[in-house]
Amino acid sequence: MIKKLVLNDIKHNKLFSGAAVFFMAVSAMLLALTVLLTAGLLGAIDSLMAKAQVPDYMQMHAGDQEAAVYEESSGELPERQIARFAGSCEAVEKWQICRFLNLDNSRLSLGGKSLADSTQDNGLSMQGEQFDYLLTIDNEIPEVLQGEVYVPVCYRSRYELTVRDQMEIGDREFVIAGFLRDAQMNSMMASSKRFLVNEADYKQLKEEYAEEYLIEFLLRDGTDSNVFAAAYAAAGLPANGPAITRALIRMMNALSDGTMIFIIFLVSIVVLLISLLCIRFMLSLQMERDRKEVGMLKALGVGKAQIRRLYFAKYLIFSVCGGLVGVLTAFCFRDPLERQIRELYGVPADGLRAGILSLMAALFTEGIILLSVHRFLRRTDKMSALTALSAARDQERKHGRRQYLLIGFVAAACTFLALVPQNLYSTMSDPAFVRYMGIGDGAIRMDVRQADNIDAVTKRIADTLEKDARVEKYAVLRTGSCTAVLSNGEMIHLPVETGDHHIFPVNYSKGRPPEGEKEIALSSMNAEELGLSVGDSLHLMIRGETAAYLVCGIYSDITNGGRTAKAYQTDDEIPPVWSVLYVSLNEAADMELWMEEYRQMGADVIAVADYVKDTYSQTLEQLRLASVSALGMAVLVTAVVLTLFMRLIVEKNRYAVSLHKALGFTGSNMRRIYFRKGICPALAGIAAGVLCGNLCGEGLCGVMLRSFGVDSFHFTFDPVQAFLVLPGILLVTAAAAVWTGIREIRRVSAWECCSGMED
Amino acid sequence: MNQLLKVENLEKGQILNGVSFVVEQGAMTAVMGPSGSGKSTLLYHAAGMDRPSGGKVWLKETEITNLSEDERSRVRLHRMGFVFQQMNMLSNLNILDNILLPVIQANKDRRSLWEQKARRSKAELTRTARELMRKLSIAGLEERSITQVSGGQLQRACICRSMMNAPEILFADEPTGALNKSAAAGVMEELVRLNEDGTTILLVTHDSKVASRCGRILYLSDGRICGELELGKPVSGEEKQREDRLNRWLMEMGW
Repeated sequence: MIKKLVLNDIKHNKLFSGAAVFFMAVSAMLLALTVLLTAGLLGAIDSLMAKAQVPDYMQMHAGDQEAAVYEESSGELPERQIARFAGSCEAVEKWQICRFLNLDNSRLSLGGKSLADSTQDNGLSMQGEQFDYLLTIDNEIPEVLQGEVYVPVCYRSRYELTVRDQMEIGDREFVIAGFLRDAQMNSMMASSKRFLVNEADYKQLKEEYAEEYLIEFLLRDGTDSNVFAAAYAAAGLPANGPAITRALIRMMNALSDGTMIFIIFLVSIVVLLISLLCIRFMLSLQMERDRKEVGMLKALGVGKAQIRRLYFAKYLIFSVCGGLVGVLTAFCFRDPLERQIRELYGVPADGLRAGILSLMAALFTEGIILLSVHRFLRRTDKMSALTALSAARDQERKHGRRQYLLIGFVAAACTFLALVPQNLYSTMSDPAFVRYMGIGDGAIRMDVRQADNIDAVTKRIADTLEKDARVEKYAVLRTGSCTAVLSNGEMIHLPVETGDHHIFPVNYSKGRPPEGEKEIALSSMNAEELGLSVGDSLHLMIRGETAAYLVCGIYSDITNGGRTAKAYQTDDEIPPVWSVLYVSLNEAADMELWMEEYRQMGADVIAVADYVKDTYSQTLEQLRLASVSALGMAVLVTAVVLTLFMRLIVEKNRYAVSLHKALGFTGSNMRRIYFRKGICPALAGIAAGVLCGNLCGEGLCGVMLRSFGVDSFHFTFDPVQAFLVLPGILLVTAAAAVWTGIREIRRVSAWECCSGMED
Repeated sequence: MNQLLKVENLEKGQILNGVSFVVEQGAMTAVMGPSGSGKSTLLYHAAGMDRPSGGKVWLKETEITNLSEDERSRVRLHRMGFVFQQMNMLSNLNILDNILLPVIQANKDRRSLWEQKARRSKAELTRTARELMRKLSIAGLEERSITQVSGGQLQRACICRSMMNAPEILFADEPTGALNKSAAAGVMEELVRLNEDGTTILLVTHDSKVASRCGRILYLSDGRICGELELGKPVSGEEKQREDRLNRWLMEMGW
């Protein structure tokens, strides 16, 4: 009998049933998609990292200039010292030195397109001897012949390359033999890119370019990389570049695509919340409508549990249908969204696991919804047959208010959904975002890294800038690797950038840029790791003696692993690792022409706006996709929920509508009344959503961006998008949905109220 | 006397099979008949609540059956009043607001060609409603919810609502059907008084006591008018004779 009752009920209430399945399907689909993409991304990254055998700890070191500090006689990297250290350190399983030939971007071209404006440090590399392999797109270790080159896969679509295209390095030509996945530097957020060449070619080119070293260690299981880092620093081994751990590499890889997954996750949570509310609302309407029948069943002696089972069985059927539809749709959406992940990291080794996990996510979603239905049904147990009938009118009034509140809430939630990813996109694509990245917001950045004498080249450029009438202002910042002495006596290497940090300031979450001689500002990652805050002091080794520096500010930084410091002045005798010059030009100056001129002076010259675009190109592309998807989802949910709610409201108020019509109200009068009733809360909801999306969304995205090293984050609104276009789209959708929902009014006849329709 | 409502060959599916009659201005007419004979359907169609499958209905010179749904709504709003058996009031409005509901809408609706009355303020409308409530002996119930008054009081409030737009004709579907004896008599008293004041009334009832207060009775059976009885204007003290005469006639009609 239960089966018959349930099936008949579903048949007679197609709208309710369809809506319940829709909500369950969308919720399941979004969470399943989040799990599928997360499992896909992490699985692909892990299998790539496992196959490539990524080092657990890697110390970068820019060789020539100060190699003398370590081994004065040869001027080479002190391999013997490193070998001795590795031999004595139990944690080290394997070690190797990878060489990276830092190329001059202005002398590079791929498929005929110049890389002069590339903001990446492009360089040549040979295959790792024992580990850290560069893999082909089939995740195989390639064999490179002379005259061939393997190009990072992220450049394939960027420069529209195919196999057999040409790559030019200076006057030498190479044939692109394939594309490679670099488990360490795949992400555009990693600022270097490795091209794989044959050993003979590498040796020939070595004479022309500066060499950098990646001192890599594979550690035994269970080794804490922070402990190892301290041991490495204490051994006084070469370390003038950033140190990278396996965990950091994994995070960098995950972040560029993780942003999109984060947005989908955010959407799935909001949609689940909306679904829960809508399903409870529909259930309460159904219960209200069936009140008399339930009362009758109770009067006939049917038990509470059995009545509850009637409703629960129906929702169980809905959840099975919704869950299945959700998982199937999630698999359909997975392909287009996972394209970039597959390109960069390949296919995860265990696809079945992702499938099972997504099924579990769908089950989890349906479980939450069913639990909420179950809890709601238990509440009705307490009602006797008599109260079920007498409380009808009170219930009606209460629902009257709640249904409009719900419309407002759904509109607000959908606006929030559409707005937050869009605002995040606007913020990250804004040129001013560089200030969160630890880069001054000048128009042009010039890096002097590969010169034999960095200081001399920098001075020559600075002198030219001083005389250049096109230059509005400029700043020279020189980075040297200092040694900091911690309170426990431990010593660490700290790249400190000296110069006037007021000219092109970065974004300070606390304090201010260093002004006086004994002041230092720390990147937020450094401040957190060293446990220092504004007002504390940090001891640096200056000319063999420790000097206390007052921490005057903390700033956001993602460059050089996010662990940097800024001071006004330290020690001129510390050799520079690199120099950076920031420049802004007068409005009349031709920036392209100017940059071309200065490239001849031995510096990498880039437009800062391009730097942001390049670093975040993958993230931004995914974010754009996610924000479009989020907008689509918001529009779909608004349209479905508002249409459905207005239909339900009209259905619930059928008697009142009919009575109004009997009293002489026209159909259009009634439609206008209900349109106002629907659109007002929707409008208020959209306004609240705009407010929340622009205010609270900032905090939410701040949590995510903090993992990028971006601190004290503020949205940069695109006012037209944030206040006009998106709310406008949602308002039009809401208006159309409300109008569609109240079309049912046409079918309500004036005489219905006269034939005992009230109940 | 002038014709106010004219029904000609009205048909609706199997329920009405060519009903024709005329209601004169100022008359009080009752439609009687066995259950399922189509009394209520006839009333709804005469009031333009639904479109018949055949036949015509005129209110003075306006052919209602020719009008669109919205135009028929306007005719009902401005020129007709309706009293329902189940009172039919909105539970989330108090008594006064329920009474004011159609008149406020009529006040807003200035598009209708026959709307000659000037727009009135809310205060003025409220005054009129209170005056009408006083006349129908329900003064003091203005702020009450519809669940806080008796059936008789609610039906009087319904009559107030139907009279607020000063209708040319008042339709009443079993106006005493849901009331006890004394409440029913009270409501009937009010309807007779309204008729004496000049309101034309067409009502449907199965209660011969109620019908005997009307000047003319139409007997509907199988969707057709099978008989008609003229009782004339009610005269005080002749209630019993009128009722007996009606009952005899009903027996003849097969009641």
